[in-house]
Amino acid sequence: MTLRPASVAELASVITDAAAARRGLRLIARGTWLDGGAPVSADAEPLYLDAFDGIIEYEPGDLTITVGAAMSVAELDAATAQHGQWCPLAPWGGDDGSVGATIATATAGPLAHALGLPRDLVLGVECVDGTGKTLRPGGKVVKNVAGFDLVRLMTGSWGSLAAITRVSLRLRARPAVDETWLVVTDAAADLCQRLRRSVTPPIACEVVTRGTLGANSPDGLLVRLAGNAAYVAAARDAVHGAGDAQRADASAWTPVRTAARPQATRAMLDPAVRALNDGVKHAFDPSGILNPGIMG
Amino acid sequence: MTLAASLRAIVGDTHVLERAAELLVYESDGLPGYHRTPSLAVFPANADEALAVVRTLASAGVPYVPRGAGTGLSGGALADGAVLLGLHRLKKIIAIDPERRVARVEPGVVNVSLTKAATKFGLHYAPDPSSQTACTLGGNLAENAGGPHCLKYGVTLNHVVAAKVALPDGTVVELNADDSGYDLLGAFVGSEGCFGTALELTVKLTPNPERVVTLLADFTSIDDAAQTVSAIIAAGILPAALEMMDRATVGAVEASIYAAGYPTDAAAVLLVEVDGAAAGLDEDVQGVDRICRAHGARDVRIATEPAARAKLWQGRKKAFGAMGRLAPHLVVQDAVVPRTKLPSLLAQISAIGAANGVQVCNVFHAGDGNLHPNIPYNANDRDEADRVHHAMVAIMQACIDAGGTITGEHGVGLDKLRYMDALFTADTLDGMCRLRDVFDPDRRANPGKVVPIRYCRERRPNTQMAEGGRRMADATGGQL
Repeated sequence: MTLRPASVAELASVITDAAAARRGLRLIARGTWLDGGAPVSADAEPLYLDAFDGIIEYEPGDLTITVGAAMSVAELDAATAQHGQWCPLAPWGGDDGSVGATIATATAGPLAHALGLPRDLVLGVECVDGTGKTLRPGGKVVKNVAGFDLVRLMTGSWGSLAAITRVSLRLRARPAVDETWLVVTDAAADLCQRLRRSVTPPIACEVVTRGTLGANSPDGLLVRLAGNAAYVAAARDAVHGAGDAQRADASAWTPVRTAARPQATRAMLDPAVRALNDGVKHAFDPSGILNPGIMG
Repeated sequence: MTLAASLRAIVGDTHVLERAAELLVYESDGLPGYHRTPSLAVFPANADEALAVVRTLASAGVPYVPRGAGTGLSGGALADGAVLLGLHRLKKIIAIDPERRVARVEPGVVNVSLTKAATKFGLHYAPDPSSQTACTLGGNLAENAGGPHCLKYGVTLNHVVAAKVALPDGTVVELNADDSGYDLLGAFVGSEGCFGTALELTVKLTPNPERVVTLLADFTSIDDAAQTVSAIIAAGILPAALEMMDRATVGAVEASIYAAGYPTDAAAVLLVEVDGAAAGLDEDVQGVDRICRAHGARDVRIATEPAARAKLWQGRKKAFGAMGRLAPHLVVQDAVVPRTKLPSLLAQISAIGAANGVQVCNVFHAGDGNLHPNIPYNANDRDEADRVHHAMVAIMQACIDAGGTITGEHGVGLDKLRYMDALFTADTLDGMCRLRDVFDPDRRANPGKVVPIRYCRERRPNTQMAEGGRRMADATGGQL
């Protein structure tokens, strides 16, 4: 029988049962990061979370939105675009993945340097932890220090502590002007650093190598300039002064983003920090059933 | 050897206080109205001494409360029979790396001192709580402090890169923002001293903007001012700061030595700061000016010179101080609502104040929806104190009902414990207790704060709680 709970209560009961039976569960919303470099034990049973979808609350004037975690990043982008807004997640891997997975994996993207990491953009979550308890830390307002920060804890926990069902996010107004340029240069990394430190920094710059943007595309730096018209005009001058700059389509970012994949890095942790990590896992998933193998 | 003697052996005789008269200084923090007396107070000079103190307290199984400058506004640094661990002597700026734009500091460094030290590199530390001339970076870390410029630049969480932390059991851990594994640094920021004590922090430094313009718009209707806030945000302009002060606050400021030249007959003023590259800034300034006037602003003053800007800011930054002239005590409140709810909340707050016969002074981070309704009063007048209490409970409930939260930057401490279960489910509060127990299974670090004790009761800590901690639990019971 496929595990596809239709409500938080059903999800809680699925997880409670699995915990009692010590049966591993593999959390799947859209299934786009399953090759994210962090193997979930092969015998874990798929738990489909696609029922937790759609906009739950969106008041454009608040510049915040609450969505079901299985909503795709592309859908979030389309919904907010209607009101001239966006949530600049733009994760590596593309926009097909779910908002929940983007938060769960804390996958950033080219905009993160200027506009924030997932941990900076998420305001609150609803999730069901490995004991079957439903947690609703954080909220939907842009400043909130009430209680210990389970939101940051869940962000980047790779579904190993809880299944996220709902996410509240900070939005921004879409910039009035938003342009992408390709600067042809063999010193792209230096240029990126220089532009980021200029008075008119781009919102994204990524080094591209020959062929990344299509057959015969050159080595260079892909730069995204955004702001009001006067700001972008000044930023454009700086880019032109840096080398041979060609106007590129916004779609140039797609191959750059899809070329990278979210990765659960396994850098060595200090033993004391490792012990805290183990303690966290034990506190929220004592039976070790959520995405087993991924964080420990 | 007594505990005091052990601690004296670490920090020296003069840096341990035991006598009631000496401890009196530490019975309150920045929030008047609460008094708790520590059993003793200890003030290490450096990270090594601080760690030795933490380890001594751990071996003795004694609860303790870390304290920076004691400017907190939620009673978070109060120690009821616990040991007060003062960290203000750890005030070394260890290193500033202008290339990487980070600074390594000890926790007792005063917020504004870091900005002063970074100025020669064209950098500053962005989170700027109003108490920044006194509050410490360690306290900012513990509270996840905000400030006016957090609207554009983010709160403390967004600016801390790493922390070297003494866990309550005396283990030292280095938590880094880019560690693999769980975001333990993110969990530590804002943990109000309950997860351990930072011995060292690494924070981001932000380049000074090329140009800064400060606008002061005055309104004859508080509702117009509130609508203007939403309109500026909705127009896609992201000011560096967007602050509001009502008539009562302006009156208090203008009658004080902090007078900034605000119009005293205005129902509300907005202080708007726009900063960044010179290119494009005028467009944003004109946009703000236009939106203010379209929403009924009588006048919009524009200050570009540092002295003129500083004067406009002084009244805002010193508003709490100015309110001190109005009455012997002041409730400083802190709540956040969705920004579109500001007009309705301000109307409700005004009605609640009138119904309870108390004067509410609003001075707040409007752009974030972060309200600070403050009530000057005399705590020795029982009847007035009761009315203030009723008004505050009603205001907080109104904020929760509007989809907001009970604290945006001051923390829960002792003062907000009573609202936690109106905001969070029992399961969520239990989850918070579980996270706390990972860092502090004995619950000795700042006991009785943040999460009402009764939600942690089923989950007993794995060792016996020391006497002071038990007293704290009984004294608060989550119902102050």
